[in-house]
Amino acid sequence: MSIEIGALGPGPFEELARSAALHGQEPIESTSERELLVLWLDDDPYALPVERVREIVRWRPITPVPRVPAAVRGVLSLRGEIVQVIDLRLRLGLAPSLAEGRRRRIVVLHGDDGQMTGLLVDRVSEVLRLRDEELRAPTGRDAGTVVALAPQGDRFVSVFDVDRVLDLGVGA
Amino acid sequence: MAARRTQKPARNRATREFVSEVEEILERMRADLSDLADARAGGRLDPELANRLFRSAHSLKGIAGMFGFEGVSDLAHHMEDILDGLRMGRLPPGAPALALLDEVVEVVAGLLGSGEGELAAGALAQVQALIERIVASLASEAPPAADDDLDGIDASILRALTEYEEHRLRESLRAGRAIHLVEASFEILSFEEGLSELTGSVRALGEVLSTLPAPGDSPDSQIRFSLLVATECDAAELGSRIDLPNAMVRAMRASRATPTQPGSAAPAASAPTELLRDASPGESPRADGGSEIESLKSISETVRVDIRKLDELMNLVGELVIQRGAIGSLADRLLADPATARAGLELSKLHKSLERRLTDLQAGVLEVRMVPLRQVFEKLSRVVRRLRRDLGKDVRLDIRGGDTELDKLIVEQLADPLMHVVRNAFDHAIEPAADRASAGKPAEGSIRLEALQRGNHVVIEVADDGRGIDPEAVRQRAHTLGLIEQDAVLSRKEVLDLIFAPGLSTTTEVTETSGRGVGMDVVRENVTALGGIVHVDSQPGRGTTVVFTLPITLAIIRALTVGVADQRFAIPLTTVLETMLVDPVAIQRSEGREFLTLRGEPLPLRRLHAEFGLPSPPAGARVAVVVVGLGDLRLGLVVDHLEGQQDAVIKPIQGPVRSVRGIAGATELGDLGTVLVLDVASLVEDAAKRREAA
Repeated sequence: MSIEIGALGPGPFEELARSAALHGQEPIESTSERELLVLWLDDDPYALPVERVREIVRWRPITPVPRVPAAVRGVLSLRGEIVQVIDLRLRLGLAPSLAEGRRRRIVVLHGDDGQMTGLLVDRVSEVLRLRDEELRAPTGRDAGTVVALAPQGDRFVSVFDVDRVLDLGVGA
Repeated sequence: MAARRTQKPARNRATREFVSEVEEILERMRADLSDLADARAGGRLDPELANRLFRSAHSLKGIAGMFGFEGVSDLAHHMEDILDGLRMGRLPPGAPALALLDEVVEVVAGLLGSGEGELAAGALAQVQALIERIVASLASEAPPAADDDLDGIDASILRALTEYEEHRLRESLRAGRAIHLVEASFEILSFEEGLSELTGSVRALGEVLSTLPAPGDSPDSQIRFSLLVATECDAAELGSRIDLPNAMVRAMRASRATPTQPGSAAPAASAPTELLRDASPGESPRADGGSEIESLKSISETVRVDIRKLDELMNLVGELVIQRGAIGSLADRLLADPATARAGLELSKLHKSLERRLTDLQAGVLEVRMVPLRQVFEKLSRVVRRLRRDLGKDVRLDIRGGDTELDKLIVEQLADPLMHVVRNAFDHAIEPAADRASAGKPAEGSIRLEALQRGNHVVIEVADDGRGIDPEAVRQRAHTLGLIEQDAVLSRKEVLDLIFAPGLSTTTEVTETSGRGVGMDVVRENVTALGGIVHVDSQPGRGTTVVFTLPITLAIIRALTVGVADQRFAIPLTTVLETMLVDPVAIQRSEGREFLTLRGEPLPLRRLHAEFGLPSPPAGARVAVVVVGLGDLRLGLVVDHLEGQQDAVIKPIQGPVRSVRGIAGATELGDLGTVLVLDVASLVEDAAKRREAA
């Protein structure tokens, strides 16, 4: 089952973020059920576990940082905390997006160590609810960051392992 | 820092408070134990210190029991036994007893540090073994026979004395001191003050053995006390020196020493104690020794605060500062337009007054975070004492400037690097006694630990009089490791600085020939992370000095913003010596490295464009140079233009890339958005390294 954006009324992304955050706090009723936030790069859907999402913010100017891997676009200030922003396209080796379009979003994630990281994506659409047995093994693209494929209608969404996406292979 | 979340399971509030209270008690006990060990000259024990320790052990036992930490409570109980044995004279105040106490304190500290304070099986066994050793050592000491005569002391008084008080009385008699009874009446309503005033003035002249309510024909509104006093003074002298109209002195036993004999009148043993006082935290008036009434009042007027709460406050102040900036620029905009100039003027006035108050608030919060270095120094002093005991090496640690204050966070982070340097000095730099003798040095080695404030920085020196560093050995080693060319032209200082290079100081070869041990690269790394810098100077055969220079606080700083290409950076003003606009023709080159002549001296330059891979300015354009310095290193940072000064709260950068060399963090500067703050220490060091490598 999925929640359609249109049903959420005005300010869909703020609502979405809030509902995502709320869902994240809820005790998981059944261990086999999971919620995934669906996001897009070009016309390809990807997904992240909702409980790792802290909030979703609109694209805003990012302060570049020298001497970091190219995928790190820079830092931005989020209610007083300074957070690195990773461009998901560059992280996956895709071509940079030409437009810093109005639909681009920064998905702010909880790191495995309590640190936050922003993930710059082309757009965010919905929260997908499904059971574990619906997941399929990945086809092996994207250098091991995708751990499963989730069915959505007649296509599959690539599900990320967030920690692997955030692992840039630099000084831990 | 505050912005970083911790994943550790939060201890519950009660446990946190317990831990912080116990830490405080332990800290006090450590200081007292250290004083006790130092003041133990001549096998005598400072009764005040022993009592204070006893009370600390007692509080520890109480609160540990209350919170259900049986192991800690048990240990504290046995610690009480030892201390009781000491103050009752049943246990000789020698090194074994003190070592045992030191050990108990450290074991308790270890238990606290081990997570939830629950005793693991191993820790429990350790505690048991320790307790058994305490019991054994107490059992082996038979109480000395009490054969002193107590003639001349009123039987009614003797009956009223506790066992401890009687012990102190006998001790005093054995030491040949005079015993007097000081009697005085006080108004009931205000007797606490009067009594503590009297006790205070008597204590300056001798020891108050006991405070007893005295029977007597005093009016109903008055209460009468007698103080049993042991002193070197005779009754008349005591009476005249107390100088309280209502006090009366009655002699019970004369002093055995002749009071007229010069030199013997003053308690000579107090001199070394006074010297050591400087390093002890117990500066507060010792109002805690006397009556039960006093002990009901809280002695300390301090409040313990979780450092994270201070961080939160600091962040709030930081945000206020930013908003103040926004109000300032709004006022300027209003002023610029004739139509709104009036409102602008008023807003500008309000802004000025807000600014003044914010500055005070900022200073106040900063001040609360400051703690004296003494805490760390005392830890080091304990380590040296233990090493001296364990290794049998005769080394003295002189501590100066323990009152110098630094941000709590920096003090915490500094403990390990300092410990490392002091241990190196102890283990490697100070020669064995035989070598020292043949070099014509005193048998006792010396390590000096000194802190002093210099402007916005604190300088800490660790100096030893050991064998020093042989520059030639360091050079050879650095060459073998490929760090320098065989024929590199290096100043003595530059050669010495190589000991901080990774890999170099980890070899035993250099350890033995140079007297400097392992891990100096780690020391430098830690100090650099605090925005500080560390240097070494050494005279072969004479000794080595390691100098730490640290900023006083990490929290709010004044920053200079500069523009480089289309980016903006903030430079902490504490590191900026001067700024200037430079015509490119004034920039000279040597071996491809740029420098500038500044007041007759060459100043190495570093272009931030090159440093950070940003596009260079058009050739021939005027540039700005920010001269930064740390310790005695100078560097000119070349930027496109200077923008202005701002208050900034440096925050750590969160995310997968843990650290970026040259960047200390970022700050939010109102209209300017998020701006990166330069880590000047690492930039200066990298530049120095490049010179060395050249």
